[in-house]
Amino acid sequence: MRSEKEMVTGRMQYIDDIVMDGMLHMTVVRSPYSFAKINAIRGGLNHTDFNSEMKSFGEGETGEETGPGETMFAGSHAFYAGQPVAAVFGKTKYESEDNADSVEVDYEPLKPIMNLNDSLKLGPVHGSMKSNVLKRTLLGKEFSIADSHIDLSDSFMMERIATNPIEGRGLVCHYDDNKLNVWISGQSMHSIKSGLCGTLNLPPDRVRVFHVDTGGAFGLKGGMYPEYAIAGFASMKYGKPVKWIETRREHLMASKPGRGVRGDITISARKDGKILGLKGKVLVDAGAFGGSIAEFSPRFIGYQITGPYAIGNVYVDAQALVTNKPPQGPYRGAGRPEASFLMERMIDRLADETGLDPVDIRLTNAATEPFKTPTGMTIPESRSFLQDAIRELGYRNFRKPERPGFSFFALLPASSPGEGARIRCSEGKVKVWLGGNTHGQGHEFFVKSLLSTEFRIDPGLITLEYADTDMLEKGEGSWGSRSAMVGGNAIIELARRIIKRIEKEEGHYAPEILLDGEYDEQDFVSYKKTLISYGANLVTADVDTYGNVHVKECRSYYDVGRALVPHMVRGQIIGGCMQGIGQTLYEEISYSEDGTLLTGSISDAGLPTAEKIPEFTVKYAENPSEFPHGAKGLGESPTIGVPTALARAIELASGKRIRNTPVRPDYLIG
Amino acid sequence: MNPREFEYHAPHSLDEAFSLLGKYGDESKILAGGQSLIPLMKSRIFSMPHIIDIGKIEGLRNIEINKSGARIGSLVTISDLESEREIAELFPAIHDAASQIADPLIRNAGTIGGNIAHGDPGNDLPAVLVTLGAVFVLRRSGGERTADASKFFIDTLETDVHHGEILTEIVIPRPGKKTASAYLKAKKSAGDFSIAGISTCISMEKDGSIGSIRMALTSSGPKVIEVTGLEEICKGKKDYNSIAEKVSVAAVSSAKPSDDFYGTVQYKKKVIGILAKDCLKLAMERAEKR
Repeated sequence: MRSEKEMVTGRMQYIDDIVMDGMLHMTVVRSPYSFAKINAIRGGLNHTDFNSEMKSFGEGETGEETGPGETMFAGSHAFYAGQPVAAVFGKTKYESEDNADSVEVDYEPLKPIMNLNDSLKLGPVHGSMKSNVLKRTLLGKEFSIADSHIDLSDSFMMERIATNPIEGRGLVCHYDDNKLNVWISGQSMHSIKSGLCGTLNLPPDRVRVFHVDTGGAFGLKGGMYPEYAIAGFASMKYGKPVKWIETRREHLMASKPGRGVRGDITISARKDGKILGLKGKVLVDAGAFGGSIAEFSPRFIGYQITGPYAIGNVYVDAQALVTNKPPQGPYRGAGRPEASFLMERMIDRLADETGLDPVDIRLTNAATEPFKTPTGMTIPESRSFLQDAIRELGYRNFRKPERPGFSFFALLPASSPGEGARIRCSEGKVKVWLGGNTHGQGHEFFVKSLLSTEFRIDPGLITLEYADTDMLEKGEGSWGSRSAMVGGNAIIELARRIIKRIEKEEGHYAPEILLDGEYDEQDFVSYKKTLISYGANLVTADVDTYGNVHVKECRSYYDVGRALVPHMVRGQIIGGCMQGIGQTLYEEISYSEDGTLLTGSISDAGLPTAEKIPEFTVKYAENPSEFPHGAKGLGESPTIGVPTALARAIELASGKRIRNTPVRPDYLIG
Repeated sequence: MNPREFEYHAPHSLDEAFSLLGKYGDESKILAGGQSLIPLMKSRIFSMPHIIDIGKIEGLRNIEINKSGARIGSLVTISDLESEREIAELFPAIHDAASQIADPLIRNAGTIGGNIAHGDPGNDLPAVLVTLGAVFVLRRSGGERTADASKFFIDTLETDVHHGEILTEIVIPRPGKKTASAYLKAKKSAGDFSIAGISTCISMEKDGSIGSIRMALTSSGPKVIEVTGLEEICKGKKDYNSIAEKVSVAAVSSAKPSDDFYGTVQYKKKVIGILAKDCLKLAMERAEKR
């Protein structure tokens, strides 16, 4: 593992830096149509050579997926623009791209379904389904409230956005000596391995997956994609190493975008701001296939929709709907920001309706004791954190006309089911393998910090190794604000086992004994609970005559349990805040009605650039968790808290009700 | 992505370039800074068997400023334009535009000649050069001619450069006393193409009233569009407030924007209207100070 400086100056061994003798470069030929019948295909590697449904998609997988799942290659139909139809190869990238011209496909374009309304209204995209409803879950229970003073309904849309890490997807496959070796930029070597085994029908001992330096992921690189299976298959078929590196355009058209969620919400409240009930619909744009996080998203959003508030009546009809777009994927937050946006926007609306301060409404509804929501989620007491946050963020210090947006949220990290790890002490060095693979967050820092404390040794003797499925039997992944929490828990548990063993064998533990000896411990350390923590943001913004939003200040206050590595905590928060700003103001994957991608360049798909960076204030509470290290989740907090606070700040500055992200200039002055 | 195969030629003189253009005819394309052409080639939207890189030709990188105005070689980079003090002094609109084109890396590569000759209605310098009354020098084997900026742009990606010709110089007349220009651009982010841009050049009489005014629009139609009807509105007027609304309406009615991902026609017209007022104000303030 390398230093942050090497990371930000590009001095890493990224996937495209790997060169092997005889290596073939793969270019994927993709459907230009969002929906088309494929009458014939000639050339390249295509579905007539081999085809199989994707297995295991990593983050958000429950094992209860019903599909229809995506296949490696489009067969009788292409279901989204960008779906792999064939693959071609060459000794150089140039040759490989030239060979794409040799593939001939006879398409018969069909009318695609490009939005949620059409998905509900029109007939099913897949012949195997009765409607476009991929998954439907009812959460809470139906209710009616007699003494409600105010009933408010509204509809919100968070458009799909690309994950857009600096480095896109990519891998090198080398089938050698009956074993498929894979080097990949990723978040979870173990989910990639099970995906390849399932899709290519290989037993576990014939697939080995290696992690390489990874230039960002944000959910993109947690699981399987058709391209991975195609590259693996090609390496087996041709007996040569095969490399595939995604272009930015491929990323924007054919990776799995996040968000794409609509909420139609009604709340019932008293005049004093007490919310008595919430009901509504959550509709997730699943894209063209199941077997993705889209099967889980609607339920996850509905489950946590009331966030940190004690609301006694909740009923949510949560659905994932098929459209002719790439399958939905997780993007930093993956359901959490969506749930919070729906709740927080309704609270701000209620404030405008009642004339109450929106923060006072939040106080009125915060949980004063542990509370089990009608959707089944149990939240800890939240009011005292909110009171601290109001003070720490300086909310009451603002005087009219200056009014900030404020948000309050519960972070539900993916702490379950725990994480796998391995610690090996040999020749005076301590080497560590983790099941959740760092993709830029700096896992090596918490590994060194926690283990140097446990073992009482110099952190310089400890290294986090590149993950490798042969070196670590079982692992989960790095996502859902989980890595330091459950990865840290796993390495402490293993370290303590080693210390106990030394105590048993030697009568006592001393660092010298550890460093002189040979110890090797690995396990999957289970943790089955969701360790909820709270956070709040305050954002101020101006809107100019052109409808451009200028974010002035972005303040954060999150309960991190314990800041294991304070400068990394700060970095996570600032980076996440910029992504929250990105979602709210700039980022979008958009199509015309006929299915043409309108956001095929990074400029169109929008990213926050350096000039958009506001003044940040980063504060955190340290209320230790039940873990031995005391840490709680963090990574997704800013992407939950910032969009909702910023939406309010824009609303106050422009006088326009903010219902959708991104908030476009043409909406603000149109 | 990577471009299709092409043969790369790098002539060292104009004569050498003319002979290559003559030899390869329609199978060749001139490459200057590559700001527009290279992305098109890399995405394989555009390919050409012969690419003639004129970047090594001597004598096209000078900025000469004299009594009659400026002569700018077509290979002068956007960064050079941006940092040249005398350009900023005499033609502030050029400085305004140059400093807002793409990002610093691209400005180091992109050239004034390429920005003009590509004929992209989203490029910023055409509008500026139209309002400054620039003339373009087009050389061919054994001769040259000049073309007025206002007549040079024909349609999207189509200009008055004939095959076999190379745009070598941009000649801009020296502005009179009490004359100033400005360029403003509305865009989502630094580095993006504009939603709309506007250039204004104003000359004031001794008494502080407007003597002449020209305005031209970027990203507001198939090519750069000059705003019409401004003289009647502005001539003899001193007070910004008395003309701002009318100038804004004139700019909007000259514009021919289209609906796209960045907004509807209605929204873009609104942006153009605001830009026109803001740019008028800035140009008037600058002219008054001269």
